[in-house]
Amino acid sequence: MCPVDLTTNIAGITLRNPVLTCSGTYGFGEEYAAYCPVEALGGITLKGLTPKPRLGNAVPRLAETPAGLLNAVGLENPGLEEFIKSYLPRVRKLPTAVIANVSGFSLEDYVQMARALQRESGLAALEVNISCPNVKHGGMHFGTDPKSAEEVIAAVKAETDLPIIAKLSPNVTDIVGMAKAVQRGGADALSLINTLLGMRIDIDQQRPVLANTFGGLSGPAIRPVAVRMVWQVAQASDLPIIGMGGITTWQDAVEFLLAGATAVSIGTGNFVNPQAPLEILQGIEKYCTDRGFASVRELVGMAHKA
Amino acid sequence: MLTEGLVVVHERLGDKEQGLRRLVLKGPIAQTAQAGQFVAIQVQDSSISSFDPLLRRPISLAEISPERDEITLLYRIVGRGTEILARARCGEKLSVMGPLGQGFSLPEEGELWLIAGGIGVFPLYALAQSALAKGLTVRLFWGGENQQFLESAGYSHWQALGIPIHLSTLDGSIGQKGLVTEQVQERLSQLVGQVKQEQEQEQEKLFNSEKISVATCGPKKMMQAVTELCKNAGVPVEVSLEERMGCAVGACLGCVCTLIDEAGSLIHKKVCQDGPVFRGEEVVWDVSC
Repeated sequence: MCPVDLTTNIAGITLRNPVLTCSGTYGFGEEYAAYCPVEALGGITLKGLTPKPRLGNAVPRLAETPAGLLNAVGLENPGLEEFIKSYLPRVRKLPTAVIANVSGFSLEDYVQMARALQRESGLAALEVNISCPNVKHGGMHFGTDPKSAEEVIAAVKAETDLPIIAKLSPNVTDIVGMAKAVQRGGADALSLINTLLGMRIDIDQQRPVLANTFGGLSGPAIRPVAVRMVWQVAQASDLPIIGMGGITTWQDAVEFLLAGATAVSIGTGNFVNPQAPLEILQGIEKYCTDRGFASVRELVGMAHKA
Repeated sequence: MLTEGLVVVHERLGDKEQGLRRLVLKGPIAQTAQAGQFVAIQVQDSSISSFDPLLRRPISLAEISPERDEITLLYRIVGRGTEILARARCGEKLSVMGPLGQGFSLPEEGELWLIAGGIGVFPLYALAQSALAKGLTVRLFWGGENQQFLESAGYSHWQALGIPIHLSTLDGSIGQKGLVTEQVQERLSQLVGQVKQEQEQEQEKLFNSEKISVATCGPKKMMQAVTELCKNAGVPVEVSLEERMGCAVGACLGCVCTLIDEAGSLIHKKVCQDGPVFRGEEVVWDVSC
């Protein structure tokens, strides 16, 4: 029996398999080395960068919820300059596709980062986060207004030769409208979905649990919302989709592929099981073998044909 | 390292209401673990897969026994996660990440003071064992609510170590009535006083000819007060911090603490990866960011 072809293609990048890791959950790619070798992954997405260094929000930054996790880290990162100087030389050598993630507070912020990050930086793609819910006046503004979203993607596209992946916010009424807007702006692929805005209240202290009051909800609790959005966007757009949102097991990942995602990305699932990406990959492969699919690409969007 | 820890002992300590548990796990973690490090343990019922609660629970190592391949975790049931963990039975296997983080450093010589508040005493037991094995002198200052709590939380085990112990309780049921920091302060003043008499008005810091060093774990306010006392006396102090954790390996930035670096700038460090043990003087205790 032939081995299953796990390779896939997103925005012109060939990935050795369809399992990636999500920005903000995988540091700069080395933190999980003792648990999951990066060369086993299709790719990793780095912690979100801003032009200037940020200390982020106060603690508590995390609050657990039923099958979920609220976070309000607030884009803590070393800043673009320090990233290029101290992190990029290491991460570009990682034996996997490395996707940088950028966030901004203005169009100029995004433009500045796109200008600095190019193919010659050794990166595979640029994920543009227009959907961070955890900073005031932050990226989410760009992610909830179609016109702003189109503008920011167009501006980034004009400045870099890297493929552009637009990471969309689920905190909108019309996800398809947002997907079409970033496609007009020139996005090469989509990441669906970022976290859902939520909050928890400490009933003993009678105040919000998170120092930032609101946080982004992730984990298995949000998976059905993410699958639905991948499904809707896959129906309406031909852009490749990286599906994410609560993927913890291989069965979850297969759902996303069947809904129309070309690849999947593991975020909070890493916290539950640091070997989740490996187990998910094995599960996908076995699913294909057991059902006679020669390539994982055959699964993409298959549920739409039913 | 991700391993399966076999539950070999899981027992209640003291009264039911106190919610204290002792969990001994067999596995390879003991071979490399150091006092002050912790493990991130999955609290799901291993027979039924569930994602509620979702996250692992970080628990410090109270005893490290490489010769038996065992680690001992002492914990208090404080919520749903630890309630579910408390149901794990002997013979079950639990998914354990660890050893994680940076532990306490052992001084080369001198007297090591362990200063504990409440269940903050748990990780200090492993430290006491390694310090004694190295031939250091160890002294415990331990404060708790009352005698019953201290007895449930392992007082007799500490007594068996044969080290001097200074207890404080809020109700005075055992030891000195009041806060543990009061006893620490008294002893430090005595020593400072002696040296002052001998050396006449020299700097307070000179008293540390006895090469005292401090390791502390407990409520934040207590560790802050201990750090202040140590700073004034010129005694090096290490503190073990606690914060809500996500990944436990330094990837998610959920559990940062604020430190002051040598240039005087405020920086963030990860409690899970850079800590949980930090030098007391570098910790910024009252921060809003």
